[in-house]
Amino acid sequence: MVTATAASAGIGRRMVPFALATIPLVASIILINTFLFPGATDTIVSIGPLAPTWTGLTAAAQATLRVLAFALSVAVFSLTTPTDDLLTDLERRGVGRRAVFVIGAAIGMVPRLVERAGEIVDSQRARGLDTEGARWRRVRGVVPLAAPMISSALTEVEERTLALEARAFSAPPRRTTMRPLPDDSQQRALRWGLLVFVVVAVAASVSGALGIP
Amino acid sequence: MSASTPAPRLSLRDVSYGYVGTSANVLQGIDLELAEGRIVGVVGPNEAGKSTLCLVAAGLAPLAIGGRLDGTVEQDGVDTRTLSAADLGQRVGILFQNPVTQLSGTSVTVYEEIAFGPRNLGLPLGEVATRVEWAADLVGVRDLLPRDPARLSGGQAQLVALGSVLALRPGTLVLDEPTSQLDPLGTRLVGDALADLAAETGTAILMVEHKTDLLARMADEVVVLVDGKIAKSGPAAEVLADPALPALGVEPPSDIRLRAALAEAGISFDASWGPALGVQAAVGARE
Amino acid sequence: MTAEIVVENVSFVYPDGTHALADVDLQIPRGHRIAIVGQNGSGKSTLVRHFNGLLRPTTGRILLDGLDTVGVHVAHLASRVGLAFQNPDRQIFAGRVKAEVAFGPRNIGMAQVEVEQAVYAALEAVGLTGQADTNPYDLGYSRRKLLALASVLAMRTPIVLLDEPTTGQDARGVARVQKIVSDLADTGRTVIGISHDMRFVAESFERVVVMRAGRIILDGTPSEVFARESWDALASTYLEPPLPARIGVRAGVGSTPTDALLVEALSQRKVAAS
Repeated sequence: MVTATAASAGIGRRMVPFALATIPLVASIILINTFLFPGATDTIVSIGPLAPTWTGLTAAAQATLRVLAFALSVAVFSLTTPTDDLLTDLERRGVGRRAVFVIGAAIGMVPRLVERAGEIVDSQRARGLDTEGARWRRVRGVVPLAAPMISSALTEVEERTLALEARAFSAPPRRTTMRPLPDDSQQRALRWGLLVFVVVAVAASVSGALGIP
Repeated sequence: MSASTPAPRLSLRDVSYGYVGTSANVLQGIDLELAEGRIVGVVGPNEAGKSTLCLVAAGLAPLAIGGRLDGTVEQDGVDTRTLSAADLGQRVGILFQNPVTQLSGTSVTVYEEIAFGPRNLGLPLGEVATRVEWAADLVGVRDLLPRDPARLSGGQAQLVALGSVLALRPGTLVLDEPTSQLDPLGTRLVGDALADLAAETGTAILMVEHKTDLLARMADEVVVLVDGKIAKSGPAAEVLADPALPALGVEPPSDIRLRAALAEAGISFDASWGPALGVQAAVGARE
Repeated sequence: MTAEIVVENVSFVYPDGTHALADVDLQIPRGHRIAIVGQNGSGKSTLVRHFNGLLRPTTGRILLDGLDTVGVHVAHLASRVGLAFQNPDRQIFAGRVKAEVAFGPRNIGMAQVEVEQAVYAALEAVGLTGQADTNPYDLGYSRRKLLALASVLAMRTPIVLLDEPTTGQDARGVARVQKIVSDLADTGRTVIGISHDMRFVAESFERVVVMRAGRIILDGTPSEVFARESWDALASTYLEPPLPARIGVRAGVGSTPTDALLVEALSQRKVAAS
């Protein structure tokens, strides 16, 4: 379903990186489930102490599909929905300005977080933190890298809160909407269609019709 | 002519302030008045309470961050404690050091960023547009309106932040080291925009600034803040030339330092050197 | 003898395609105090990040003591080149001031006894001895910045890079930074500073490199760089010569970029006239 939506939006190719990003997670799911599924006895083949099981492999396949579906949903969303369209629409629908702001700020923050993380890594490497050497040495870098990330985020939040408060962020009237978004019948139909599909899928899943545990 | 002078734009009377969770007061017994179109500079050593003074003057302390405020802070004769955030924002604007953290982070264009405040007030779309264009012209960022605010130079971003504060049309502007993160060009852009603003719109400006050269050019009056108290205040030329300034931890402007060094060597300042004092005189015409 | 740092025909292009450095050649002898100035985005920070390997040249070479730095880990170069970044909040992580300062020295394998001495000396230099056990976040921005500077000084590297060390400092803080620069030079260390503060540059450094759009456009002593002939080049990157340099030209005593130099030149003229 997700891939179909993606294909219809013509973004199949650009979703590849999102799928690739799940590889480490998927690999560990397959390995752990296949080899270590608790209580499974239907061994495929025995290689010394290793005993992959059919039950494990099936569970792994299901879990993998779920991870992929989730990752690809995120991908479809972020590739097809311009942030400002999303925010404008939420606002027009009367979603509270705080909620809209939080969603917008969270999406908008990603590139800045990446940039800040880069500066922190550079600062600590310049003080001799080993990020290129042996793995066990790199583990020591967790606190020096994580702590400045958190504390600088907190100080920035404080400054931004004050700056926004001073720009009447908590004023009572409903915000002025900048532009109405086009929403043709095709888009509306697709949206309702997807909603119906979700309801049906969830109902089917709960009733056990699909056999997914 | 009327006998009574109009209420000052901003007035602080016997103001003391302490942050939440601390017993000590960061500001003590501050008296300060700011009239229409005036620029008052605030100098002082680090951790003297300059940033706190900005928050108190802008009404954000205690409104947004809590704390204990004694004495009265008035905007146009109205006690700031009786004002809501929305009312306050239309009377007094505040600009901080870091241009990046004060942009909303949710706008895709400079236009939307400047529209942020007016939209919060729920103004009609036409009025929002009028204000955005007015503010953009005032700080000289009209060309930047379609640009992404995340991709501006420091000086440009600070001008946009200034414009988005001005779009609420505050009568008073409080600035906390607005040029400290900027390069010389950015400093000049922001300094010029502020001087024009005070002259053209009558906005009263309270400005914390380490760069006393900038204050010497712009400010009408200067206040020296030390340990949360006003150690000195008066006309800018007088306060900035005070020989006690370095002992208070404040760097005098370049020309004052130079005159002092010359005097010490028994050399008098020649009037014909005067033109060299003008900032742009030395490097020729701007642009 | 080769210079301590040699930048050989270096160009650098960021992954997004921005050309940040173009054909930069620079030699910095041991023990020199050199300032790099220019507008934001002119390539100053990009250039100094090549000296400790944080960035690697797209083309060209960086030699430290005659040896190419290609392939040498940053963690290894850190024992030779210390870099104090502009924003202290990008590095502070420890719960106590002294632990923050000890981080660098420990990483580069300094012996415990020496770490303690180095930490104490660095805190002394920045005036934070009394705050050794304080939480860094209880310090104001200007003192956090001095703390970040101390944490690099404590590594006792032969080369010290300072990115905008005077930003946000009051008169006392600037005086401290100036003293640190001259003390480092007195002990034979090479100091490279990036700054927008032309007075600090003219008073504390013996050589000034001016950058514009990834290239070096001026390189010389403060007297040369702030001389009348250079003003147009300076103006092209929005830099203004310090006041005493401007007055020196009006008074006809040549290039005098600091108060002291101007007073000296005027005094000599007065003596010659009488």
